Amino acid sequence: MSRQLLLQVFVGFYNVLLVLLIAPLAQGVARRVTARIQSRVGPPLLQPYYDLFKLLGKEDLASGVSPALQRFAAYLALTTVLVIACLAPMGMAIPLQGYADAVLLIYLLTLSGISLLLAGLAAGSSYSLLGISREMMTMLTLEPLFAITLVIAGLHGQSFDLATLFSGAIYQTGQMSGWPLSGYLMLGVMLLSFQAFVGRAPFDITEAETEIMEGPLIEYSGPKLALFKYAQMVKLVVFAALFIGLFAPWGSAWLFPFGLLFFWFKVALFIALVTLIAATHARIRMDQAIRYFGKLALVSCAALALAVVGM
Amino acid sequence: MNSHTYLNRIKEKFAAGVLRIDMPGADRLLLHIQPAQMRLLCQFIFRDLDARYVVSIGVDDRPFSGDFLVLHNFAFDRERLLVSVIVNVSASAPRVESISDIIPAANWGEREIMDMLGVEVTGHPYPKRLVLPDGWPDGLHPLRKDMDWNHVPKDFDVERSFHFDEPPPGCTVIPFGPFHPTLDEPAHFRLYVEGEMVRGCEYRGFMAHRGIEKLAESVMGYNDIPMLAERICGICGCVHSVAYVQAVEAAAKITVPPRAEYMRTIMLEIERLHSHLLWVGLACHIVGFDTLFMQAFRIREPMMWISEKITGNRKTYALCQIGGVRWDITAELKNELRAVLRKLEDEWLDVVEAVFKDKNLQQRTRDVGVADVHACKEMGLLGPVARAAGVDIDARRDFPYAAYDRVEFQVITHSTADVWGRVVVRAKEVFESIAIIRQCLDFMEPGPLQSEIDTELPVSRMGFTSVEAPRGESHHFVITGENNRPRRWRVRAPTYQNLQGVPAMIKDQTLSDMTISLGGIDPCFSCTDRLEIIDIKSGQVRTWTQDELLAEIRQRERGGAGSLP
Repeated sequence: MSRQLLLQVFVGFYNVLLVLLIAPLAQGVARRVTARIQSRVGPPLLQPYYDLFKLLGKEDLASGVSPALQRFAAYLALTTVLVIACLAPMGMAIPLQGYADAVLLIYLLTLSGISLLLAGLAAGSSYSLLGISREMMTMLTLEPLFAITLVIAGLHGQSFDLATLFSGAIYQTGQMSGWPLSGYLMLGVMLLSFQAFVGRAPFDITEAETEIMEGPLIEYSGPKLALFKYAQMVKLVVFAALFIGLFAPWGSAWLFPFGLLFFWFKVALFIALVTLIAATHARIRMDQAIRYFGKLALVSCAALALAVVGM
Repeated sequence: MNSHTYLNRIKEKFAAGVLRIDMPGADRLLLHIQPAQMRLLCQFIFRDLDARYVVSIGVDDRPFSGDFLVLHNFAFDRERLLVSVIVNVSASAPRVESISDIIPAANWGEREIMDMLGVEVTGHPYPKRLVLPDGWPDGLHPLRKDMDWNHVPKDFDVERSFHFDEPPPGCTVIPFGPFHPTLDEPAHFRLYVEGEMVRGCEYRGFMAHRGIEKLAESVMGYNDIPMLAERICGICGCVHSVAYVQAVEAAAKITVPPRAEYMRTIMLEIERLHSHLLWVGLACHIVGFDTLFMQAFRIREPMMWISEKITGNRKTYALCQIGGVRWDITAELKNELRAVLRKLEDEWLDVVEAVFKDKNLQQRTRDVGVADVHACKEMGLLGPVARAAGVDIDARRDFPYAAYDRVEFQVITHSTADVWGRVVVRAKEVFESIAIIRQCLDFMEPGPLQSEIDTELPVSRMGFTSVEAPRGESHHFVITGENNRPRRWRVRAPTYQNLQGVPAMIKDQTLSDMTISLGGIDPCFSCTDRLEIIDIKSGQVRTWTQDELLAEIRQRERGGAGSLP
């Protein structure tokens, strides 16, 4: 028992440290890929690390209507994604296996959005208020998509246990064996909405620099901005890992280290895809986004119905 | 209908009111009219004869005729006729009737006359301060001849604040600018927003005044001013420089050698190319599509290099002098320019193909920032904004200047009247510009670049000209004067009219559409803000703490006056 616990603690550290270490690198690669698409040379691969160090070394200014809330929101943003990292498969066992389930995962995802709302509230500027109203609308329409995905996986796998969810449960079919239609539908839905989950174009509406000047982050600078930027980098990696774990878990059971390497290879490919989409799309408007999410919500409701009857 | 028919109809109706008629050329008409008849005549020209409003100009002519002059310029685009309605305003009671209630487009032009010359425009629907800074003392009017060009008013009131209108009920105020990522120059839109919907706005601009017109009228010489004119704008400087020299040449009846005309045409079109490419890039950036932003700038760069090779500068070509140009193009440069154009054409074809198929971009620009034919007429909207609404105007064809009468090109129009239409118009105009430059290169013959001017320019002649800038018609008006400089020089950049159309374009749209709607007119604030005198003393040296600023904002939001200057 204690050995089991030790192992879990070790894997927990591994997950958290690993995402902290590689998230800026992933960002660096993404920036280089974007630059190449735009006929630019692009920054050094390690530029995001330099950026973070520079921001962390700057004066810690308190601004906005509530500096305390502002600080709290920045901590919350980073800690939330790091806790999610402990619920995600990263090529090894899931650290919080047995202590958490799908419901906690859904709560934590919502919390990550809430940190942005708090940041906007703390700033109190009219631009940040516009940003949080946009974030709120996005959350309300996006979170159900993810929740439904987990519920469908849970229905198929007969459990909300994390290990089950991240072992391809979404494609299992019940007694009416055959095509896991609901699983494929949700794969489509999550692919089409993933940019929004990680706040990348065309769904970077909440921050939209050229419209509302970074919205909720308008008052952030220095170390607190670094935490938020860091959180966003980590978020991309963790969410990509969640996506791969849910929808493409194959190969994870391979012999060490091949399973691990193959997992990160898949994640890297997926992040490259996200970058490519972001670089080739214009930002859409809030009302257009809501309509788009609405259509996806309809599809996922249909998928849920199918899953209930075992398809 | 030609100019004589119009003239006869005007004479018929206003026989008593017309004091004098000058026709400096077949395409220019100066109507000196009695003040009492001015309003009706303007209405007749604008409504019944369906002319386009161009600009209103105030002139302090007291040292010469003893009066102020107020001019309203109109254009008959199809008939190639520019008309100026001129009234003398007595110096003892400087008062003139407003035409803004008949012609909404005259709103700014008339407010500027009030600000700059102190001629009261009676019956103006919105007689608020437009150009002068907040703290500028009342009763001091910079363009009056009795104010020195370097006068610094002692009673400038730093504490005096501008009174904005009350927002409509249920709306909150979002301050857009003076500094915002999508504004490349300072301008302030006070947006009245309900949720995300913009319900109205108030504009306060003219923040980067350089006193260019006053400077030209007071200290510079005829041949210095083209260089000054060029610095009105960092993007369409050559347009202003050409327009100014053309206005002087028209007034003094100077002919320009053909090769110089071709040179002007080539540089104007190079300028249009780089400006349109820049705009497409910026528009894409505004809607968050940075890839095309970067690609547009990459494609544009060779245009800047070739400009540098021809003129010595990427921008600000220092091309024009009265009666000619300063730069020639050699045979090698011709070939190089042809090669650059070929590459640009190929690359732009790819971009246009991609853009026209891009549903994502159309989603963001269709039915956004709509200004239809009616709005174009009422607000005097110009250039790609008008052409995107199907208003077929282009000064290059309608009032041919330089070598535009010798080259063939299409005036591109579109029917959607939205930002998408403006994208299409500009994208296609790039090809027309390439074709124009090619024809110029083919047609231009060796010859002089400068006509001989061996006498003083005649005094007290009026000249005006329209030049098609990338953003629309740039209109310059000059009265020649003594001491080798003009008495009055008035610049009306296209953004001056197009900005007045923005409040109608952004009304009842979301805030996200506001930025691209404003971007859609390709606003050039430095062009618009060209006039007025910088008061260095008014620079706010006081630093405001955050609490003070917040208290200030809250006070203003509650409707209080606030104390920020």
